[in-house]
Amino acid sequence: MPAHVQAILWAQWRSLMNFRRGAGFPSWILPALAVLIWYGFWGGLSVIAAFVFASPAWVEMIRPALPGALLVVCLYWQLAPLMAASLGASIDLKKLLVYPVPHRQLFGVEVLLRVSTCIEMLMLCAGAAIGLWRNSALPNRAAVIAFVPFVASNLFLAAGLRNQLERLMSRRRFREVAVLTIVLAAALPQVLFLTGLPAPLRNFFLGGHLGWYPWSVTARLALGSVSVGAVAALVGWTALAWLFGRWQFERSLRFDFEAAQSEGRKTAAGVSRMDAVYRLPALLFRDPMAAVVEKELRSLSRTPRFRLVFIMGFTFGLLIFLPVLLRGSAGRSAGVPSDHLAMVGAYALLLLGDVGFWNVFGFDRAATQLYYLQPVKISRVLVGKNVATAIFVFLEMTAIAGVWTLVRLPVTPLKVLEAFAVTLVLSLFLLGTGNLCSIYYPRAVNPERSTGAGSAGRVRALLLLIYPVAGFPVLLAYGARYAFQSQLAWWSVLGVVAALGAGFYWVALDTAVAKAEERRDLLLQALSRGEGPLALT
Amino acid sequence: MDVLAPAIHVRDLRKLYGDKAAVDGLTLTVPRGCFFGFLGPNGAGKTTTIRMLNGLTPPTSGAIELLGLSMPDQAIEIKRRIGLVPDESLLFDRLTGHEFLEFVGRMYGLGRPVARERAGELLSLFELDGNQRKLIAEYSKGMRKRVAMAAALIHRPELFLMDEPFEGVDAVGARLMKDLLLDQVRRGATIFLTSHVLEVVERLCDRVAIIHEGRLVMEQAIGDLRQGAETLEDVFVRVVGAERGVEKLAWL
Repeated sequence: MPAHVQAILWAQWRSLMNFRRGAGFPSWILPALAVLIWYGFWGGLSVIAAFVFASPAWVEMIRPALPGALLVVCLYWQLAPLMAASLGASIDLKKLLVYPVPHRQLFGVEVLLRVSTCIEMLMLCAGAAIGLWRNSALPNRAAVIAFVPFVASNLFLAAGLRNQLERLMSRRRFREVAVLTIVLAAALPQVLFLTGLPAPLRNFFLGGHLGWYPWSVTARLALGSVSVGAVAALVGWTALAWLFGRWQFERSLRFDFEAAQSEGRKTAAGVSRMDAVYRLPALLFRDPMAAVVEKELRSLSRTPRFRLVFIMGFTFGLLIFLPVLLRGSAGRSAGVPSDHLAMVGAYALLLLGDVGFWNVFGFDRAATQLYYLQPVKISRVLVGKNVATAIFVFLEMTAIAGVWTLVRLPVTPLKVLEAFAVTLVLSLFLLGTGNLCSIYYPRAVNPERSTGAGSAGRVRALLLLIYPVAGFPVLLAYGARYAFQSQLAWWSVLGVVAALGAGFYWVALDTAVAKAEERRDLLLQALSRGEGPLALT
Repeated sequence: MDVLAPAIHVRDLRKLYGDKAAVDGLTLTVPRGCFFGFLGPNGAGKTTTIRMLNGLTPPTSGAIELLGLSMPDQAIEIKRRIGLVPDESLLFDRLTGHEFLEFVGRMYGLGRPVARERAGELLSLFELDGNQRKLIAEYSKGMRKRVAMAAALIHRPELFLMDEPFEGVDAVGARLMKDLLLDQVRRGATIFLTSHVLEVVERLCDRVAIIHEGRLVMEQAIGDLRQGAETLEDVFVRVVGAERGVEKLAWL
């Protein structure tokens, strides 16, 4: 391995170890558990795949299915990171470009890092390859080596797509549109699953073994049907993927991200119109609270990451629930609304979590120390930030209800009111918990990046617990309506839950404020930290 | 490679951000072995110029030659021979000072044992060896500048590009850095630095240039400047046209 690559990987390893240095053992447990469950699941699937693919009795079933399965692997590999709004680890070019490292070596590191976004698919491919290699019914078992160029071409393609996306997303205005388009495209499979695949697509997925696509030639070769044409096609595809990846990487090296970000700034008229909107909180609150809320509204609405998840809330959120909605509509008499609007609202809260709840000081980063210097209580700052989040939740719900009506899904004003009530009550629990997480697990976030995790890994692991616990009291209202068949029961229980939520919020706020003073140095230190030679987006 | 070529030669260099020109038609030659001060008010285009020189930011137009080599065509060879004291964002916060210096040494092609040895020596020289386990994130501003300076020296470059190297550094550290830089110039290296500390520039530099709103407004040998009655500060204020705006704020 070239010395430069070794140095970069060593520095990243040291950065990771140093980052964890101060953390006690308990802080490792939840993330480790989440990793274990996730990769344990995929490991289990890989073992099953190895056994199935090793069985001679299954060969005739595997033969037509393998190309389609490999196509799914390919799609998952390229699209899963986008659906998770996370492009994984990549080289921080800004920091490494100053060193005399040949570009091909940087590209090598970039390709290696693509493994980080899809270890699951690597495990599956390994399971399938081991199974086929052990299958005595196959004529040429050594041909399973075809998986190697297949994996390589996926890595090259992923590297190229990542670089292209990163450039697209660095352009003002365009980045949200670009990400949204891709994310919406990623939701298409389940819509197609519901509506059924059109014939050409069905042939593409299920009759792929006849074509010369990378997945079909890989399948053909791995199943022992070795031919010069298939080998040439696979080598050709791999070379093409390498060329694409390298081309995109070179373009990123020459690309001026700062110049791109300075394009398309708002005109003075546009700025002044928005200015009036930003000043609206001053009608409801007095300074300094109004100033904090106004600052949050201004800065969040100008943050690409926030804009993306906000737009996703009323587009992607609706789209991924579309199959459920359509199935629900088909199953009941036409025009009868369901509680799905509240469900979409709750999902939007999940999306907004990273930018609005779990790490409220993340975008302020080192500037957070200003809050400690100014003659304003930290409780005012937290409440101001929470009010701004609540305003955005309200706007998000308005947008969801608007789109819902626009696409003519059944809804009544009462159901809209219910959805608003549910999301606002749920927000109380999430804001209370979020304030605590923001103090205990702060993390500096780059507001210019449209993707990536916005909260600490420990918080993301804790979310597996937080959402069900926060959602449970709200579910009680639905339970009451089901048990008593009464809308009054629903509102009564939700009212009690709202009172509980308000109490929880104030207790959590008090604790967060006390801890904010106690943990001031740790908080400011964590928010001032940068990264290693790789950037996690 | 032309060994007689100037250390830095830029022609009609231009950098646009949207409609705004951060650097606007800069033409400049810095001879080898020169201690060159590149001055200008905030936002004048100094950092953008340094970023274009080291290949971090592509120019909109114009030509750059460093040590007789063309940027970006011969970027790798140029980078091997320059030492950079960048703005702080290029440091890796989660490494210790020693780890960072070792990393930089290896990136410049030093063997691991050599990089490790030099890292230790430089840390000691810059008095940063007190706390071996301290992360760069925990360094003060002055300590960050010291470690950046140490990193620029580790591969013994021929040309130094320095963006505000003395910013936040205490008097002892600044003295050490000045002595080191003068030693580098004496051995034939070229130094191109930006600084707002005009007294330091006046004392150290052979030549100065002043950039204002992206344009070169003055270039002069310090010797010529000393013959006049004005200090560098007087010249600077006169050239960039600074006004006493504070007098307009009655409440202040």
